[in-house]
Order: sequence, then structure tokens, then C-alpha cells
Amino acid sequence: MAVERLNVEGQVAEGKVLRFNRGERFSHWLHVVSFFILLFTGLGVFAAGFHPLMSLVGGLQAARLIHRVVAVIFVLGTGAMFFAGDSRWHWEWLRSAFRFSDADKKHIKAFAAEFFGGHAVYPPQEKYNGGEKINSLLTIFGSAVITLSGLVMWFAPNFPAGLVDWAYPLHDLAMFVMTTAVIGHVYLSLIHPDSRASISGMLTGYVPEDFAKAHHAAWYEHAAENETAK
Amino acid sequence: MTRKMVLADTSKCTGCKACTVACKEWNQLPAEKTQLVKSYQSMRTFTPDTWSFVTFDENYSISQMHWLMRKAQCFHCADPACLKACTSKAISKTESGYVVIDKDLCIGCGYCAENCPFGVPKVDDQQKKAFKCTGCIDRVENNLKPMCVQTCQTGALEFGERDNLMVKAKKRLAEVKGKYPKAVLYGEKEMGGMTHSYILLDSPEAYGLPSHPVAPLALTLWKDIIRPVGTVAMGGAAAAVVFGILGNALRGNYGPPESGKGGKE
Repeated sequence: MAVERLNVEGQVAEGKVLRFNRGERFSHWLHVVSFFILLFTGLGVFAAGFHPLMSLVGGLQAARLIHRVVAVIFVLGTGAMFFAGDSRWHWEWLRSAFRFSDADKKHIKAFAAEFFGGHAVYPPQEKYNGGEKINSLLTIFGSAVITLSGLVMWFAPNFPAGLVDWAYPLHDLAMFVMTTAVIGHVYLSLIHPDSRASISGMLTGYVPEDFAKAHHAAWYEHAAENETAK
Repeated sequence: MTRKMVLADTSKCTGCKACTVACKEWNQLPAEKTQLVKSYQSMRTFTPDTWSFVTFDENYSISQMHWLMRKAQCFHCADPACLKACTSKAISKTESGYVVIDKDLCIGCGYCAENCPFGVPKVDDQQKKAFKCTGCIDRVENNLKPMCVQTCQTGALEFGERDNLMVKAKKRLAEVKGKYPKAVLYGEKEMGGMTHSYILLDSPEAYGLPSHPVAPLALTLWKDIIRPVGTVAMGGAAAAVVFGILGNALRGNYGPPESGKGGKE
């Protein structure tokens, strides 16, 4: 099915495989941009030391306002992408994040060596490897917790005080989890010499065949099978 | 300056409310439209412009009805939850025992208001600032009594050195217990010890106060566990990335594919 889509999106480049369709790329980048705006504008209320930085967005009160506006985009924008147009791959991603195979577990155990530049041996991986599934889960749960706690903080007078008290630590916790994950994610997608080839998948949709074979062999094989079956 | 204290001996309070008027006058706070919310109590709670009011509860625990009257304002805790919750370093404690908000630093996030066990600070949504009783710190630091104490006609409010006044409070409590057996001293140990302490004629609950006030568990978890652990985790991830880059560079993984083991095949 993955390869069929090559034709839909046009320009099939030789030696490349479609990994992320247009909707997925849009969701991803909407999430990225809104996440970083939210992280930045949240710093003003996070700690006094960040107050001077807020002048970059027009002051602390402006930052608080931007934080709320972008929060709506962060939640509704990305959420809507699960229902807009052809969202099958969105749902596939969601399902896959909750399914850890033996191959995923082996990848997670072996991956640390590769992260630090060594060589790791693990079974062929699907479209999302074990590590990517962990990143996905942290993003899914982090987004859910930060959204719900943020809603309580925004409309605090409408919620019981006991619940509002808990919203603050949970909002912080989700921020820490997602920021920690994003540090590793950015490293692997932009800086790590082996895995950074994957960034083209999020930019053009296509990843090099070599990369697909080396990092996501199980997925690459379905894609190839589908192509021959067609 | 040594630790100060205001003792409110509620057995002497007549509910005249002069203290709350004096508070408004000294602090130049505008009057607000009020109505009786219960008995002779005219405010339900604090507002950005009302830092003190008198609570009235009609009590029948002794032979005849009597009022439980208490001048409410910030207790000025020694271990203030609002200070811990403040994200802007706007709340501080003075040596004399007062908890004060620096208006210039306050951003109006309202975390102090949410976390105070007594609901004292109130945020003005227009000004985006939190307000509460200052303890008349401007007067105290200039060797004057707080305005409420200055005004009190019956001697129900007394200002002095904490050590001396606490001894006096205990002596007075023993006397008061003769008529009000359930009388308690409130503020000696609560929240680390409060600058505004009380001789109450009944249990704290009878006045709508918690017997054992504590900072919310969520606040402790947030500031003492989630913050430090989260910061370490984030720093750890950043350090791992630095080591990852170094590890890859040392193994020559950043070189041209021919020279090193660039690919994974």
C-alpha cells in the first residue's frame, strides 16, 4: 500500500521510498512549530529567570496570550489531521505505537550503542522501530496530559481547587517528558550520522532506499512486495 | 529586625469592623459594595481590594448564643505555600515575619492564590497582579503598629515581639478556657508559625479554618520532586546527545562514507 501511494503523490524518485504522506508531514510540522512556540512562551511563567526573554514576543503578558492561542492550534490542528482527508497512516501510526513486538524490544535494548556511535545488532524493524515507538508514546501521553492539565489551568475557576492544584505539577511533568524526548529526537533526526538520513522523510516524504533497508527492513520488504504485487 | 507578632484575642472582639476600615484607609483601597453574607459578615472572601474582613459565626456551644468573630487577613506563615508556588520570585519573607508580594515582579499567574491553604491572595485580572495583606510592613519597619492594631478599640489586637507575645497568649488562653473550654491558640506552630496568631473560642473548624493547615501535596510534589527530577532528566538527555556526537566523531562516523563505516549495511 505504501508504494501505491508513490504514484498518487507523483514524482517517484529512483532509489527512494515514500515513508510519510503529505498529511503526516503536515501534522508533524504543525506539532513541531506549535510545540516550540508553546515551550518558549511557557518559560515566562515557568521561572523568573526567563522574564527578560519574553520581550522577544512582546512581553510576558503577550507570551501568556500567545501560549493560549497556540495551544488551541496544537490541540485542535493536530487532532483534526486524524479526521481530515486520507488519515489512514495517522491511525496506523497510533496503532503501531501501542504494539511492541520482540523485534522492537530487541531494538530498544541494542539501540544505546548506536546512539553513542557504536554498532547495534537488532532484527529488521517495521516502519517505526522500538525507539520511535517510545518517542511516539511519550508524545501521545505527553500531549494528552499537557492538554488536559492546561485546560484546567486556563479555566481554573470552573474546576475544583483540588484538581487545579494537581494541574500545575502535571503540566510541568508533561513538559519535562516531551522536552527530554525532543532533545533525543532532534539529535537522531538532524545530527546522528546514520539516522539523520530519515529527515528527508519528513521533508519530502521519501527516504533513501538504503536507509529504509538498513533501518526499517521489515517495512521496506512490505513496500517492495506491494510494489511487485501491483 | 526581630520576629514580630499580632495576637488576636477573639474573646475581646466586639465585631466593630474598625480594623477592616482602617486597613482600607491606610492602604488606600477603595470601598466595595457589600451585603451581609451570613450573620453580620459582609464579605464572603478576600478580594484584590479587601485584604481584611471579620468572619461571624453564630455559635450555641455554651449556654447562650454567642458570636465567633475573627478578623481575617493573611496569616503571614513562616513556611508560606504562596512563596513556594510563586514562579516569579515576587513573594518574599521579611526577617520580622511578614510575607510580602513585590508588585513589580508579580505577573498575576495566580499560583499563590491556588496554593494558599486559606485562599488569601487574590489576583486582579486587569492589573495582572496578586494582592493581599502586607502586614502594614511599611509601618512595622518604621516602628509603628499595623493599622488594624492601632485602631482596635477593645485590645483584641495586640502587636509585639513574637517571643513575648506568645507567652502572654498562652497565659490568656488559660483564662479564656474558663468560659470557653474549647478555646485554642491558633498560629503558634501552624504553617511553621504564623505572625498573625489567634486565641479562638472554639475549634478552628468552628471558624471555618483547617485544624492542621498544610501546603497542598501537589505543590510539594511539584516543587520538590517533579521540578528537580525533570531538570536532571532534561540535562541528562542533553548530555547524552553531547556524548553521542563525541562518540560518533571519535569513531569517524562523520567522515565521508568510503573512509569510515558510514552506513549500517
